Amino acid sequence: MTTEKKQTGGSVLFNVLQQHGVEHVFGYPGGAIMPIYDALYDSDVQHFLCRHEQGAAFSAVGYARASGKVGVCLATSGPGATNLITGLADALADSIPVVAITGQVPTSAMGSDAFQEIDIFGLSLACTKHSFQVTNVNDLPKVLHKAFAIALEGRQGPVLVDIPKDVQLAEVTKSLEDFSQLRNKVKLPPANVGSAIALLSKAKKPVLYVGGGVGMANAIDELRAFSDITKIPSVSTLKGLGAIDPDDDNYLGMLGMHGTKASNIAVQECDLLIAVGARFDDRVTGKLNEFAPHAKIIHFDIDTAEINKRRAADAAILGDLKINLPALAIPLSINDWQEKCQQMKADFGWQYDHPGENIFAPAVLKEISDKMPKNSCVTTDVGQHQMWAAQHMEFDDPSNFLTSGGMGTMGFGIPAAIGAQVSRPTDCIIAVSGDGSFMMNVQELSTIKRFQLPVKILLIDNAKLGMVRQWQDLFFNGRLSETDLSDNPDFIMLATAFDIKAKQITKKSEVSAAVEEMLDHDGPYLLQVKIDAQDNVWPLVPPNTANDQMMESI
Amino acid sequence: MNQYQLTIKVDDKQVVLERILQVARYRGFLINGMNAKVNTGTNIGTIELMVKSERPIELLVDQINKLIDIKTVKVNKNATQQCDL
Repeated sequence: MTTEKKQTGGSVLFNVLQQHGVEHVFGYPGGAIMPIYDALYDSDVQHFLCRHEQGAAFSAVGYARASGKVGVCLATSGPGATNLITGLADALADSIPVVAITGQVPTSAMGSDAFQEIDIFGLSLACTKHSFQVTNVNDLPKVLHKAFAIALEGRQGPVLVDIPKDVQLAEVTKSLEDFSQLRNKVKLPPANVGSAIALLSKAKKPVLYVGGGVGMANAIDELRAFSDITKIPSVSTLKGLGAIDPDDDNYLGMLGMHGTKASNIAVQECDLLIAVGARFDDRVTGKLNEFAPHAKIIHFDIDTAEINKRRAADAAILGDLKINLPALAIPLSINDWQEKCQQMKADFGWQYDHPGENIFAPAVLKEISDKMPKNSCVTTDVGQHQMWAAQHMEFDDPSNFLTSGGMGTMGFGIPAAIGAQVSRPTDCIIAVSGDGSFMMNVQELSTIKRFQLPVKILLIDNAKLGMVRQWQDLFFNGRLSETDLSDNPDFIMLATAFDIKAKQITKKSEVSAAVEEMLDHDGPYLLQVKIDAQDNVWPLVPPNTANDQMMESI
Repeated sequence: MNQYQLTIKVDDKQVVLERILQVARYRGFLINGMNAKVNTGTNIGTIELMVKSERPIELLVDQINKLIDIKTVKVNKNATQQCDL
């Protein structure tokens, strides 16, 4: 006779989480998830109470991106579940492994328009890699194991598990060991290595186009070895930043809408473009049929559906980058092209000699980048500050730059920084935000306060929705519709209300001391940097325009 | 616009049909005919889908193949044809 305590759905959840090495979860309780929160009470898993379920989802995303582990978030049924959706969509767009657990009304009430009932299972179809609804507690362990396997398998992504309240309460009657590992369903066609080698050998002007897939595949060493052996000039997407060593002579910077001039010209002139874990996103390509017009394409990816989706591949290399990149690493004779690209890099370097006393945001970001401790992790929100951070900060690993790439979600930066800080408690975590984005998840300052997380917040404040304002000025005849934020709250007072030390600077002469004070401070800190509302992000490739036709000023 | 017939074998799991229909709509394929049945002995479903689109059918096949519960997706070449709108 056993005296072992009976397992319920709620306790099974935390057992399985621990089997997968989960130590931290982000969430918000409510009626239909109370049995899970009751089981949490007895669990060793540490829960971080966020102040909005969207914050919980983004913290899970930040946790996953900063640590390489699966991020886990919890929410109740109805509005709790729908509040997760933006975070799940963000995770899907950027291929981030997240497991979201939602409470659901009891199975007997499902389909009756019960209090706080929404069909989150149906809603999840468009914003998750996969989703489950568990109606029998004995299926729960297997489903949860599958959720983790699916989140991590192949191209990573978010998985939602919806658990009705009665299932959370029910006792498990079958052995907990009764689950099977997910088979690897997708049989990838063989890599077209022979064709790719032939293309590489013939190329006179190749460019390496590095995407977020490199970091996701943990193939940074292999990519850098490929770059060292071939010496091909390289460019990066927003999400690929950090994969190539930023000090590599052949690295030209980010490409695309706000990419460097050297990167965009090199891509437009190249005769071979080698896409590695990148997907020819519209913000990268500009006008698609004029993107890299002379180039043959070698496309490395783990996702068959990305091959030929937006640009036909002359050689497709499907599978694990760690295996496939070394297979193509051959020395090339491309000295003239390397020299031309390096010359463009030198000729078109960033300028920081900004006139006047007003603070120049790119120079602040460059200074922080130069002064921040090694292995610092920077998160951003979305807008002008995000593009300036991508342009003017340097990262030695993609897990040190967390930004909402595919979905472009304002409100990402602060909760993502919370997740990053929880996963890497001894590293310096800096959230670069704008005054528009900051207000989107400002309630998460309370999470920072509650757990005394030493997150540094750099708030670049132009009292505008700056990127939209820039587009209104450039492309909508200066008709500034709903982009003025001059009635923002007093951000110093706001931060202080959450026990966060805060300081405002308005002049260039104040920057260096303020940056040092922020970086030296032990606890959370907000530095509000006032900038000119008319400052723009340059260069800019206008919409539906080829990437070599970039604007560099008004 | 081209019309295509797909034969999709699936594990008979939750909402697998909804997932296929959602992917077809989102990726720009109009559905103008469907037949679905499940072999209760094997728990394998067979879905025949008639779709039309200006986009290449490989786009839809690749995206459906990514769904977790899909076993195979085949395009019936004999049933593929040009059609008015």
